[in-house]
Amino acid sequence: MRNKLIKNLNQVLLVLGIIVLALLVGAIIISFSGNSPLEAYFSMFNGAFGSKQRFMEVLVRMIPLVIMALGTSVAFKAQLWNIGGDGQFIMGSILAMAVSLYSGLPAIIGVPVSIIAAMIGGGLWSGLAGWLKVKFNANEVITTLMLNYIAIYFLSFLVYGPMMDAQGSKMPQTALVPEAYRLPLFESGNRLHMGIFMALILVVIMIFFWKSTVGFKIDLLGQGEKVTTYSGVSVKKMIVLTMVISGLLSGIAGWTEVYGVQYRLLEGITSGYGSIAIVIALMGGLNPIGILISGFFFSALLVGGATMQRMTDIPYSIVDIVQGLIITFIIARTAINFKEIKNKIARRMGHVK
Amino acid sequence: MLSNIFTVGFFVSLLASTIRLATPILLPALGQIYTQRAGILNLSVEGTMTIGAVAGFAATFYSGSLWLGMLAGMVFGLFYGLLMAILSVTLRANQVIAGVALNILAAGLAVFFYRVIFGIQSLPPQVEPFKMLRIPILSNIPVIGVIFFQHNIIVYLAFVMVVVTWFILEKTTFGLKIRAVGENPKAADSKGIGVSKYRYSAIVIGGIYAGAAGAFMSIGYLNIFTESIIGGRGFIAVAVVIFARFLPIRAMWGALLFGLATALQLRLQALGIDVANQLMLMLPYAITIIALVLASKKADFPSAYTIPYSRKDR
Repeated sequence: MRNKLIKNLNQVLLVLGIIVLALLVGAIIISFSGNSPLEAYFSMFNGAFGSKQRFMEVLVRMIPLVIMALGTSVAFKAQLWNIGGDGQFIMGSILAMAVSLYSGLPAIIGVPVSIIAAMIGGGLWSGLAGWLKVKFNANEVITTLMLNYIAIYFLSFLVYGPMMDAQGSKMPQTALVPEAYRLPLFESGNRLHMGIFMALILVVIMIFFWKSTVGFKIDLLGQGEKVTTYSGVSVKKMIVLTMVISGLLSGIAGWTEVYGVQYRLLEGITSGYGSIAIVIALMGGLNPIGILISGFFFSALLVGGATMQRMTDIPYSIVDIVQGLIITFIIARTAINFKEIKNKIARRMGHVK
Repeated sequence: MLSNIFTVGFFVSLLASTIRLATPILLPALGQIYTQRAGILNLSVEGTMTIGAVAGFAATFYSGSLWLGMLAGMVFGLFYGLLMAILSVTLRANQVIAGVALNILAAGLAVFFYRVIFGIQSLPPQVEPFKMLRIPILSNIPVIGVIFFQHNIIVYLAFVMVVVTWFILEKTTFGLKIRAVGENPKAADSKGIGVSKYRYSAIVIGGIYAGAAGAFMSIGYLNIFTESIIGGRGFIAVAVVIFARFLPIRAMWGALLFGLATALQLRLQALGIDVANQLMLMLPYAITIIALVLASKKADFPSAYTIPYSRKDR
């Protein structure tokens, strides 16, 4: 137990060190552009924590990001590189929206149905990539990526065509989600909605998920096909199942965004959350609590960055740069640790002989 | 009605723009053949192209020289490739994650420096792009001349590079060694072929091709830089390489297929034909998946594909 604590503490310190390093490199780049890094980071911090409303906005942003990152972590644990979070998010939000537009169900039934619809949308979209992998050996990296683009254009087709708001202003968007369906707000004046509980509940569910048999099997899958085959698990089934679970979580993320924030479908609804979710999942060590913390950090970075761009001359892209740097340093660090572990194993094997 | 649309003129301009639109997929795909043959899946081509596009655009804008712009695109592509090489070869990081990371970083860097260099302007800054170069005599042949011989110089060069790439990979010892480190790095190593050295070269060459393609987008195809100028072409190039089974000539056909899908969509839209153009835009991506499905069973992936190499792993 104590060892585990120390190990976790080391992990946290390492990640903090990496964040500081990324911010330092970011600072050098900002000063290249003739701006003051201190001013940039101050207005970023202020932009995320300067007022209650901004802080609430950080939490709003965190809801879909944490849920999506949980989804990403499921696939990544199994060494399945699902980078199609955006597509799964979109398919989930489309089906969820369809329920509120067309089902005519009372909210008490309609809302749960819409969650299930979102799970189906996201889960099938990623499950398709999983199925193509086991059936045709099609690399999931490429298929999930291509499915992103297909989903993006499909969404665009729908909001310009069949699902466009008939009474509206001919804008590329659907009609609004009926009020009874919407996720209630905590208070007027900011956008924080009850979806935050969905995110927290899912974090807890995922903690138990990794202790369950299915979670254990997914973990095994990540340790190589041989291990999995020896332990009597059907690799093919597990690959598809892992992808489905991964995608259905992104689908739920889409549901929270439609029912809690936008109240409608529109183009660009994911705002590129998929790649941020990957960064969050990895920085969180693919662990639910870690994801919650790193999700909070990156949401603050995004919200703070947007404020910074409004207040100063410094472009928002610095947020992307810092994100890219953090993830680059993290993978560099993992690679180095990996080597050390291998050396250790090699040495031990030597002793045995 | 239909006979008014599908005239000879329609097909001629369709095929001409197919070739033009194939170019920014063909170039990075050719580069990725080296990289993937060496056993590296480099998803950061997309970001490398964005970097190349902004570097090429800025260099041309300030020097007035298009060739300097192409050179800048290639040099920046080279350095960005080097980053991928450090991550994936030296640090032996997971290649997919490294690619995702470098794409985020590239998008940030490209837009940041574009904003810093050009500021915010109501009209985006423009350059005079590469001009159409009519090949003497050949360009006067009816139909064929317009389709094949009225493009700018980079388009011709991209297609010349198909043969050059094929020659280097298949007929030179350098190409042989690149294939060797992707196929069986252990055996290559024991024969004294530096695995890291050849993997580095293969990734960096891929970066140069991608940088050139990025510059083509901003100073050869368009005359401006925008955030979404590459629009997934780098990813398509990666897919083209896989379904072309790592062969340059096949990659050319793959790139042309994508060129055709995009051109068809643009042409029909220009004619005001009411096809849901989003469904047309989906086509290239759907085709990639279908082609991947058809090719993957047969595709002879390099045996060490996506696997980092270490001498300790014997």
